[in-house]
Amino acid sequence: MLSSRVTQTAFVLITVSALLLAACSGATTAPSASPAAAATAAPQAPAAGSSEISIGVAVAQSSNVSLFGQEQVLGAQIAEKYFNDKGGVNGTPIKLVYQDTAGDEAGAINAFQTLINDNVVAILGPTLSQQAFAADPFAEKAGVPVIAPSNTAKGIPQIGQYISRVSAPVAKVAPNAIAAALKINPDIKTVAVAFAQNDAFSKSETGTFQQVITDTYKFDLATVQTFQTTDTDFTTQASNIMNVQPELVVISGLAADGANLIKQLRDLGYTGLIVGGNGLNTANIFPVCQAQCDGILVAQAYSPQLDTAINKQLVDTYAAEQKKTPGQFTAQAFAGVQVLVEALQAVDQKTPIKGMALADLRTALNEQLLSGMIFDTPLGEISLDPEGEINQSQFYVAQIKMDSDGKTGQFVLLK
Amino acid sequence: MNATMLAQQILNGLAVGSVYALFALGYTLVFSILRVINFTQGAIFALGAYFTYLFTGSAFGFNGLLANAALPFGLPFPLAALLGGVLAGLVAIGVERIAFKPLRDKGADPLLTLVSSLGMAVVIVNVIQYLVGAEIYSFPASVMAGLPAALTFGPANNPIRIRTVQVIIFGVSMLFVVALTLMVNRTQLGKALRAVAEDATTASLLGINTDQLIQFTFFMSGLLGGIAGVLIGLSVSIAGPYFGISFGLKGLAVLVLGGLGSIPGAVVGGLAIGLAESLVPPDFVAYKEVIAFLFLFVFLLVRPQGLLGRPLTQKV
Repeated sequence: MLSSRVTQTAFVLITVSALLLAACSGATTAPSASPAAAATAAPQAPAAGSSEISIGVAVAQSSNVSLFGQEQVLGAQIAEKYFNDKGGVNGTPIKLVYQDTAGDEAGAINAFQTLINDNVVAILGPTLSQQAFAADPFAEKAGVPVIAPSNTAKGIPQIGQYISRVSAPVAKVAPNAIAAALKINPDIKTVAVAFAQNDAFSKSETGTFQQVITDTYKFDLATVQTFQTTDTDFTTQASNIMNVQPELVVISGLAADGANLIKQLRDLGYTGLIVGGNGLNTANIFPVCQAQCDGILVAQAYSPQLDTAINKQLVDTYAAEQKKTPGQFTAQAFAGVQVLVEALQAVDQKTPIKGMALADLRTALNEQLLSGMIFDTPLGEISLDPEGEINQSQFYVAQIKMDSDGKTGQFVLLK
Repeated sequence: MNATMLAQQILNGLAVGSVYALFALGYTLVFSILRVINFTQGAIFALGAYFTYLFTGSAFGFNGLLANAALPFGLPFPLAALLGGVLAGLVAIGVERIAFKPLRDKGADPLLTLVSSLGMAVVIVNVIQYLVGAEIYSFPASVMAGLPAALTFGPANNPIRIRTVQVIIFGVSMLFVVALTLMVNRTQLGKALRAVAEDATTASLLGINTDQLIQFTFFMSGLLGGIAGVLIGLSVSIAGPYFGISFGLKGLAVLVLGGLGSIPGAVVGGLAIGLAESLVPPDFVAYKEVIAFLFLFVFLLVRPQGLLGRPLTQKV
């Protein structure tokens, strides 16, 4: 009897834990927009006489992705205050309405649907590309413009006509880092690649990296190691990489996992060059790999050293609050809010938006966004093409230089 | 996989498996006494690491209620770790008072505590994030000062390398396992625990204060979980409030594989899962958890009571 009960309990536990583990791994799922669900999110009546314009912000404020979402919230908050202090949309202040997407697709869909039903004019979000593939179709069906602040995987603007991004696609940014590595070490022949296979962006990015490594530079791609963004122990992958003795290691993952892989690689004695993908383009990796972050090369779509008035404003405000310089996620979130505010200002100048039906306002805003209007953002001058893809004037490659205490560091621009 | 790589991966597996074992012992203790799973163990694991971080005198980040807060003093790391573990143990006692005792007193089905403890876990994790944000924290680099990053041995052209911190983790984990085993098997307290595990009602009639022993069990469970959190935090940093969750789930697998309620089983199960994960072929390493769980599932079909579990075994 007891044996049978123990057996039953064992099977229940193992099934529950396996399912939970799979859920926590953030497995990629395809977009699943159901017409019924979308129908409930139909645009509502006009917000005539409203004292403020609501813009939704759907980013990860919980889960392990909140590390990025937290930075995005800071960028959005700074932008909200900055533009409202300057008069908002021609005198009408904007109000950012936040919804937590957590780190998975279901959370992103819930957040989008809530914001759509809350009658926001547009949505800034979500944090991850794989969340965008799941949640953006709901906004598309409801006719709500979406600005993706950090979705750099291939195919994001192609989700629909209401989907745009201010985050440059990985194919444009990533190859610059490999070129910089070759400039530092012209003897690179053998390369190892590692990527987070449960993250759509990392998979997309590693595809670009691997293509550049094998097709453009004809390097020997000696091993491709995979991991999960939720992993913490990378000794198996690090040992496999050490086994092929590469001169360059290229890593596509998120901050905690990517930096841990670097730390464990360095611990095991790897001294060669490391190129980190966009997920490692954040000072949040410093506490993990500490002094061992030194020397990592990262291609960037943003540099805090860009010498423009709006970027200085962002850097100074952020530094006053956080005692460090802002990263790409913060700057892109700021730029996302800026793009929406300035496009709304342009719409308002053509036709006063007070009293305009919400559906009409959303449509007019989207048309304005895709009109080729130029925005002078902390990222530099950007515009959106008719498909919603960003046109960005400049990119950067930075090398991490850690301070002597090993706790703080800088992304130093490579000329 | 050549012999050097095999040896390398076995060492990797033993190191990570020892933490799984330490973690699973916390589950095992509670399961032995109450026949329930304490789902807060993953959150307690994270708490142990955060408490230790605080006791080292380090400051928190800028995104929580405790923005930039730090103690005016910093303790030596071993003392900070021990205190962190003890505080985690005290929190576990609080969890028992809130999530387990009220249901037990009302004679509720023990399965209900799965939900109440899961709820407590969610609360603890969110309170951590509210207080200190989602940032990654690391123990000061001085903790490992003077020690090499890795130990190297074997052939000079293709040596076996193991991170020094992994050796420390294995050593400390095994130390706690031995101490716990001695306590359970060689002390009066251990005898009392075994008596309660065997039959709480009879033990109570014999004059054993079962309520106190249950609290002590939760304390030990929290202490072990907290220490495991500190060890992992030392190795891979404290990667946010959620970083204990995957270890919590892995600990459940170890509990089942080793045999529900078996201390030696938790140790052997932990090492077995660590080895199974590390020996996954390089091309499939991202799927190591799936493979480990598949292995577990198949094993349980053959031996449902786990590696060292017995239908009528002595508990605790």
